[in-house]
Amino acid sequence: MGTTDEEAGPPDPAPLDTVESGEATVTEEGTELERSIGLLGGLAIGVGTMIGAGIFVFPGLAAGRAGPAAAASFAIGAVIALLVALPASELATAMPKSGGGYYFISRALGALPGAVVGISIWLGLVFATAFYLVGFGNYAGEMLAQLGIPSAGVITPLALVFGVFLTGLNLFGTENAAALQNYVVGLLLTILVLFLGYGGLDSLGVFGSTSTPETFMPFGPVPVFTTAALVFTSYLGFAQVATVAGDIKDPGRNLPLAMVGSVLIVGVLYVSTIFVATSAMGSEALRLAGETAIVNVADRFLGTGGVIAILLAGLLATVSSANASILSTSRAVYAVSRDDLLPKWAGRMNLKYGTPHVALAMAGGPTLVLVALGETEVLAEVASFLHLVMYGLICVSLIQLRREDPEWYDPDFRVPLSPLIPALGALASFGLLFFMQRGSQIIGIAVMIATAGWYKYYASDVQLKGKL
Amino acid sequence: MSELSIREPPKILVPIEVLEGNTVPDALVRFLAPADVVVLGYHVLPEQTPTEQADEQFGERAREAVDDIAAAFEGEGRAAETRVAFTHDRDETVERVAEEVGATATLIPNPTGELDSLLVAIRDAVDTERVADLVATLLGEHGGDVTILALPGHESGADAARETLEARGFDADRIDTASAADDSVHAIAEHAADFDAVVMGEGGASLLARVFGDEAERVAAESFGPVLVVRERE
Repeated sequence: MGTTDEEAGPPDPAPLDTVESGEATVTEEGTELERSIGLLGGLAIGVGTMIGAGIFVFPGLAAGRAGPAAAASFAIGAVIALLVALPASELATAMPKSGGGYYFISRALGALPGAVVGISIWLGLVFATAFYLVGFGNYAGEMLAQLGIPSAGVITPLALVFGVFLTGLNLFGTENAAALQNYVVGLLLTILVLFLGYGGLDSLGVFGSTSTPETFMPFGPVPVFTTAALVFTSYLGFAQVATVAGDIKDPGRNLPLAMVGSVLIVGVLYVSTIFVATSAMGSEALRLAGETAIVNVADRFLGTGGVIAILLAGLLATVSSANASILSTSRAVYAVSRDDLLPKWAGRMNLKYGTPHVALAMAGGPTLVLVALGETEVLAEVASFLHLVMYGLICVSLIQLRREDPEWYDPDFRVPLSPLIPALGALASFGLLFFMQRGSQIIGIAVMIATAGWYKYYASDVQLKGKL
Repeated sequence: MSELSIREPPKILVPIEVLEGNTVPDALVRFLAPADVVVLGYHVLPEQTPTEQADEQFGERAREAVDDIAAAFEGEGRAAETRVAFTHDRDETVERVAEEVGATATLIPNPTGELDSLLVAIRDAVDTERVADLVATLLGEHGGDVTILALPGHESGADAARETLEARGFDADRIDTASAADDSVHAIAEHAADFDAVVMGEGGASLLARVFGDEAERVAAESFGPVLVVRERE
């Protein structure tokens, strides 16, 4: 139990026993692994994973907590995400393997932190997926209401049905999912830019309507940070680009661009959405509208047509986020099972459909349980909590690798101002944990203790291939 | 054969979806053996499956299947180069490997019996030098006849192909010519039905090609025989 294929041999100094050409990886056995995702595909993964939450679920919740300063909360989130995206980019270009954050941390800091992060991130992604699905349920319910169909109590069932549907879709192969994802993200960005363009001009008074002047921080500065902790779930997508690092063409260039670029794109969209929404409606009205507050904003600007467009966009965005998140979960499970931190069978794939069926089931199954609980804020915060721990440790890993400077460590992209940026990234990631609700903190810590226990019980004899 | 003067010895890329149980029929191995052969065993994965994951589980099996095919070529006295790839995009992989090994033609395999007659369809800017080298090499030792099919508007290209083939020392009696009514894929496929295999150019990346697949793939699908696609020079 718990051995790697290299255990008996001499210690392997490099985790990369492979040759890279930018278009394919050649393994030590000589198998070629084609890299088929370009820059646009990478950006679409990042933006597609993130955009569901920040615009379509959080505006009402965030404005209710922090007032118009919710825009600042989103900006804080963007800054933290950028501080992590830069170190993550450097590590990903040095180790362009599937597995992302888990891989970096386990190689730089060792098996125990690796196991805790690797298994927690599986569960963190399960929480995130459940959160996106509940968001989807809210939009589907609102859509039914707009169509005049009674929709009381349908949110959770709809989210569950769709969770089963998405898992099934991925189990049985989705030939053109990536191409579709690119179009969905393109369509979403178009709708949002039009909507924000109109709304932005309107809130600046161009169309002559009076906006409601409101205190920027009606509840003081602390809620700005607790809200930042809540809405950080909106930025969980950029590291997902690193989990498909093994598939990205020319990773030295495309990985950093896709990670940093997707954070910048969604960050700008989030901040402008909150600005437009709070200017249009006032934060109290947004709070009352809850998860689908942005629909009310669309109604105010553009009437029924706008409502339908935003509802459609909301459905697409939450589905796209949930789907991307299920895929990342399956890759996270594979990455840890490859290293024997979970049983090998968790990473088995099915030749007929070509899909990792066990890992996908481990993504979809627990998600449904959490969806049934239906607590948007807790789901979001626990997902963020577990991700932030990983982000902080990614930054620590970078500092560690820079200091040890092993021979194989040769990233194509180097973070400027190191160790300042990774140190700030680690501080900010860990700092944000303190602004979360007590309940979310307890669940997050419990998950981490449980994963450490699992490691002690199951995998304490694991030797990682290519560890520092 | 000593009297043939091959300029650029042809190198044929043979992509086989090995894990689907596909292989190269013996008759086709004998037919291709005079040329340099690169066997590319590949497997296409849906996007949700990391290529590393598939390699870990099925890489061994894929490499064995490719080695079996290479052994068949060795049985004919030719060592074949082997490659194994896991990919999300078949065409991208085939194109990349073809470029890396400097293949002059790519095979679209199909079930076949003995190969004694070859149809060369001339259309667009097919590289007649490469066509001549390929046909002369494959049929030179093996025996068999070639028919050059001129598509409307490409008669001069067909003449050039014939002349180049003769200049390589290929017996003029074994060359026949024909012309097609129109230049559709269907017309080529109709002629192809009377032959054991087809040689043709890559064809442009037209809108039709995007919707229905490569012209050569459509000819292979309609004529049920193997097709050799001559690559353009880079």
